[in-house]
Amino acid sequence: MRLHKRLLAAGAVAAVTLTAAACAGGQVRGAADSTPQPGSSEGAAGGTADSTFVYVPNLDVVTDWDPASSYSNEIIAMQNIYESLTRYNPQTKKAEPRLASSWTVSPDGKKWTFTLREGVKFHTGKPVDAAAAKAAIERTIKEGQGAAYIWGAVKDIEAKDATTLEFTLKYPAPLDLIASAGYASYVYDTTAVSGDLKKWFGEGHDAGSGPYTIESWQKGKETELTLKAFDDYWGGWDGPHYKKIAYRVTPELTTAWQLLQRGEVSFVQRLNAQLFAQAGGTDTVQTSQTPSFQNLLVLFNTADGPLKDVKLRQALQKAIDYDGLVAALKGSGVAASGLVPAGLLGNIPGMTPKQDLAGAEALLKEAGYGPGGKPLELSLTYAQGDADQELLVTLLSSALDKLNVKLQAKPLQWTTQWDQGKAKDPSKRQDIFVMYWFPDYADAYSWFVNVFRSEKDVQFNLSYLKDEAIDKLIDELPALTATDQAAAEKTYAELQNKIINERAAVAVPYVQNYQRAFAKSVQGYVDNPAYPNVVFVYDLKPGA
Amino acid sequence: MLRYLIRRLGQAVLVVAGVIVLTFAVMRLVPGDPAVAYAGPKATAAELAEARRRFGLDDPLPVQLWNYLSDLLRGDWGTSLHTRQPVRDDLFQAFPASLELVGAALIIALAVGVPLGVAAARYKGRLPDLSVRLSSMLAVSVPVFWLALALQTVFASGLGWFPVAGEYDTSLDRTSPLHLYTNITAVDALITGNWPILTSTLWHLVLPALVIAAYPAGVVAQMTRAALIEEASRDHARLERALGFGETAVLTRFALRPALNPVLSLIALVFAYSIVNGFLVEAVFNWPGLGRYAADSIRSLDTPAIAGVTLLVAVLYVVANLAVDLLQGVVDPRVRAR
Repeated sequence: MRLHKRLLAAGAVAAVTLTAAACAGGQVRGAADSTPQPGSSEGAAGGTADSTFVYVPNLDVVTDWDPASSYSNEIIAMQNIYESLTRYNPQTKKAEPRLASSWTVSPDGKKWTFTLREGVKFHTGKPVDAAAAKAAIERTIKEGQGAAYIWGAVKDIEAKDATTLEFTLKYPAPLDLIASAGYASYVYDTTAVSGDLKKWFGEGHDAGSGPYTIESWQKGKETELTLKAFDDYWGGWDGPHYKKIAYRVTPELTTAWQLLQRGEVSFVQRLNAQLFAQAGGTDTVQTSQTPSFQNLLVLFNTADGPLKDVKLRQALQKAIDYDGLVAALKGSGVAASGLVPAGLLGNIPGMTPKQDLAGAEALLKEAGYGPGGKPLELSLTYAQGDADQELLVTLLSSALDKLNVKLQAKPLQWTTQWDQGKAKDPSKRQDIFVMYWFPDYADAYSWFVNVFRSEKDVQFNLSYLKDEAIDKLIDELPALTATDQAAAEKTYAELQNKIINERAAVAVPYVQNYQRAFAKSVQGYVDNPAYPNVVFVYDLKPGA
Repeated sequence: MLRYLIRRLGQAVLVVAGVIVLTFAVMRLVPGDPAVAYAGPKATAAELAEARRRFGLDDPLPVQLWNYLSDLLRGDWGTSLHTRQPVRDDLFQAFPASLELVGAALIIALAVGVPLGVAAARYKGRLPDLSVRLSSMLAVSVPVFWLALALQTVFASGLGWFPVAGEYDTSLDRTSPLHLYTNITAVDALITGNWPILTSTLWHLVLPALVIAAYPAGVVAQMTRAALIEEASRDHARLERALGFGETAVLTRFALRPALNPVLSLIALVFAYSIVNGFLVEAVFNWPGLGRYAADSIRSLDTPAIAGVTLLVAVLYVVANLAVDLLQGVVDPRVRAR
């Protein structure tokens, strides 16, 4: 090789090495950064045998470490690190004690008094008392990010003594449910560091009181996050518990399945229908299916265009092949009954819709359309890349074709779809808007106040419904939920009848189903749809 | 040579500038509001306004472009809407793993492709030649995603010969902590003599590197074959045969070196291509490289991160092209005169 060639080759090698060297931080990977295999043993909190729960998410785990503003996928870890005053139980449809051991509410629903558990410590070693809880919630409200709006009803918080926390509200609201929210409800040590708390959180520190604390966080790595047992957890570590949690990010579902099959991981957040069926027939794996709190809404434009005519909206409701769709979803969706999913106050059994093509045809004819009538063309927008929504669109298009209705369906990115839905000029909006909805805490009020209450500037009321009677009923819901749940239940039923049957503003084709696959050795797993994709690992028992 | 070098460098800078402007335009033309992507779909009007202010989205487009360019020159590639971290830091975190994977793949491609090309040229028109041509065509045309899944299912999940996924067995972090110098796991393990992690990384590299190596190996084999056949028909080859050298010696001792020049040039280009081609492979094998970062960025419509990945890949292409041009300039003076 001649000299200039050698120089060139050396230059290329040096360039690559320098590029890589620029990437290095001079750190040591390892030592504390341990990522054991599921069931692996080592010395642990309490000196007993240790075991690790390996959770497989599809997406990166942590976007925001600050418990005040965290509003993303990190909930799967945060709920094991931080605790709220209460936790929602979908079986009883009520909030249950967590950091608060009990609570009372005044008859008008505007004063809530929580009694905190005694002897609870933050991971920083400081005590969890009423003053600390007040400081945390007030900081979250002040930050005003993520789901901080859930505290919107709060006027004042007072720490009466070390264990008594009193909230005064601007208007009646179910604060026990609000305090159980998956986001923004965490109690944390605001004095964990003297400097910039947000920055400190962002570096991968925590100041929670939950059973686990951060052991290592390696952004972008396969095992992004490892949590370890917090020795002083108030629940104690007697009996069998997982002492570590590792989050192993695996975007490809087939890979996730193979890792589970080989026993390398404990829990897979999501599989496709085919793999889920395969998991059901595998000896070393168990599966679970639970309806979520997320349903698909098909919103009809009640304000403009041909669908202003309620008969056409009712015809569209009848044209949807609900059973066919649920069958085609192969378990990833279950039939909906009304607007409120099961497990929430306000769910009305017996409202499951059925396809009725003859009924749809008759309604179309009454409006001058249908077979032999004027042709009708409708625009629909839905989420690009969402196979389940695509299925709905395919089935609906084919049903409507037979009824002389042409569906112009456009798959769009959410922001584009939403921008079109919010267009100032009503003629630029779509006739049908398809989207998912889920509540930020376990309260069906979210659907009604966000999606069906009149709005001056459109946000999520994408059926553009304006109905004073409906608004009035919606406004009664928070107080009723706080003070008289039976009355709240009745109001929810009345609202759903008005919105779905009378005004035909929406069709609800299905509720999404969580399909989990996990190792046979994992004992005690119950899905809680109020906390999407969260596994409360402390509650599980590691089996053989 | 100096003039040639300056000219080519100038052209490379122009191309990178063009890519930056194009990337910026695409970022702004992509439907959807980056402020919504950052603040979340349920953000209030005040939160959206704050996000717009933070990213300068209310400024006129020329001002935004100017800010983008000047930030880039200062080394600020923007903030990811998804990870909330500086894009440059994210890329520096992910790139070494991709470099490691593609580097290993290219070593395999050369180690396999060159001997196959030689064999095909030696037995031109006979069974080895036909087999090499067929298999290299297959290697070039088979979709990497399918090949990745197939190898993973058979050799990792089925036979258990190789790990299903990951860069190395992370439980080794406890017993053999790795000191990072280059952030390339295999290189750092080699430098520091961390044999457990080195062995584990090499073991984990086999399947994904083989998948990525398929395309370049096929191209290298075909190109080596064609170049060798051409060299073997030249006057010097006739002389070598007349002097009593056998066909294998003519090919390997005399024809191979000049025939490898275009192959090596090609490798530089294939390197940049393989980085992108490897994105899907990284997804299948959970390789913590640029692929996962790019996929997450696209999924969350994270325009600064998408722009960052695009720019990095574009720069890699430009640098690879420049290296090839310079190499050709060095080897062949006629190129410099053009």
